[in-house]
Amino acid sequence: MHTLADAPTDGRTWSDLDDFQAFIDAGGMVEPGDDMPDEFRSEVFRFIEFHANSELMGGLTERDWIPHAPGLRLKQIFLAKTQDEIGHAHLLYMVAADMGVKTRTEMLEQLFDGRSRFHNVFHYKAVTWADQVAIAFLVDAAAFASQRAVFAECTYGPYKRVLKRIVAEEGFHMRHGEEMLLRLATGTDTQRVMFQDALTRWWWPAVHLFGPDSPSGDTDPLIRWKIKSQRNEVLRQAYVQKYVPLLHGYGFDIPDNELHQDADGLWQAGSIDWEPLKATMRNGGPDSARRIATAAGNWADTAWVREALEQ
Amino acid sequence: MSLTPAAREYLLALADDEHMIGARHTNWIGLGPFLEEDLAFCSIAQDELGHAIGLYELLLDDAGTDRTQLDAFALQRAPGDYRSCWLAEIKCLDWSDSLVRHWLYDRAEDLRWKALESCTDPVVAALSLRAQREESFHLAHAEQFLSRLASTDQSARIVASIERLMPIAFGLFDSVATEPDMLAEGFITQSSADIEALWIDAILDDLKRWDLDVDIVAGPGQFNEQRRTVRSDGFDALQADLLKVISLDPIAVW
Repeated sequence: MHTLADAPTDGRTWSDLDDFQAFIDAGGMVEPGDDMPDEFRSEVFRFIEFHANSELMGGLTERDWIPHAPGLRLKQIFLAKTQDEIGHAHLLYMVAADMGVKTRTEMLEQLFDGRSRFHNVFHYKAVTWADQVAIAFLVDAAAFASQRAVFAECTYGPYKRVLKRIVAEEGFHMRHGEEMLLRLATGTDTQRVMFQDALTRWWWPAVHLFGPDSPSGDTDPLIRWKIKSQRNEVLRQAYVQKYVPLLHGYGFDIPDNELHQDADGLWQAGSIDWEPLKATMRNGGPDSARRIATAAGNWADTAWVREALEQ
Repeated sequence: MSLTPAAREYLLALADDEHMIGARHTNWIGLGPFLEEDLAFCSIAQDELGHAIGLYELLLDDAGTDRTQLDAFALQRAPGDYRSCWLAEIKCLDWSDSLVRHWLYDRAEDLRWKALESCTDPVVAALSLRAQREESFHLAHAEQFLSRLASTDQSARIVASIERLMPIAFGLFDSVATEPDMLAEGFITQSSADIEALWIDAILDDLKRWDLDVDIVAGPGQFNEQRRTVRSDGFDALQADLLKVISLDPIAVW
């Protein structure tokens, strides 16, 4: 197990990208004090910043429903879950800031200015409580699969160490999502109809979360540098194999007319329309403008506190 | 041991206060000035709701009511049956107000739980000790934050919040109608008036250390006759928010 104490105090250097790649291929772990190649620093920073932004915007999505959670203990649970998500963002922003590309404040201000990106799923509105359940059941599971695949290798030391905690906590969130879905699935007609409607809204955004197929061959630098251990399409396919039978088992309809099992019994999703994903990456999703504006407004309203504490 | 009607009324007031302040703190999560504050308010809100749950379950057990009725009891009473104070119920529109409310409330809460640590009911005494451990962190958070802000050019903003909230903060010490019975029974050792006096001393001491000049007007009086039975403006909207999902289907289990 790596700890911060493992980070070398004298930065390592590499003669060129081939030398660096050989270090990675031999199982090397990059630490903040290393003289990492600019390309690696830039790509990994961008990936971690995106992850941090997504954790924060995810927490803000869930916070809106905490008061409405149907029960005192559920309110506590959603408080704890939101605390986890914001806590993940907090850790990730620190890891990203230590890479020396942007400060935490710069990252947050660019997020609230609409100049940086976050996961597609948090550009949608949670319309009912069942959307919260769909987020916990479908989105947390997709994020969990994606993050676990990064944690499996992840050659940037601080990110891997933080991911260990994040993945553990996301595992609890996923289990909680399963428990809540079970209550709706075995509940009243009102609850089942609510969840079916939510599933219809959230299925495709959850599938989109894995992204389009990874670039062919060896051209995805994040795979080449072993930040990501799996190609997008592999993760997406594993997700479909797991969640289609689960949802069918509960008697819910998946909004994909072309969904079918192939000759090997594998579930194959229909053709995927990537336009909604592209829209969210331009911050042009269905609820992007409201969500970013709300976060920006809150940031502006509390500027006086941050400014005062700097005196 | 069985609680007397007086003890039940007293504990219900504390439970409702904890519930309402927890619910109101929840509104600030994600809206704080920086991530660390969001995390702190998440913890504090969870603690306050936890205190409320502990007291509500105690009351349910005492009444012989199954704990599955927790949410019905906590969330679905008629407004006139709640005993919360206005400071805990109101919606703060500004971060400064929310922070000052947190300080005023937790200063009082700490003293109120201390008054129960020798309670003749061992379950109440145990709850008191747990709550006091958590309150020490809440108070440290409020004190350190306000102390820091009071030393900046934003001190006038803090003073304005204190002046705005102080009149209703005295409602924290509106005794329930049955408090004299409780004192006579030895369930509590300090009256609300005793606790109020300690609270004023603590508040004045804080203000002196922070070098803030605020007039503390003791006992505004208008609350005392209400005996915590009158809800503040906005309570109906708050309760509707809390019930938004539960009220969709009366027989559903969520």
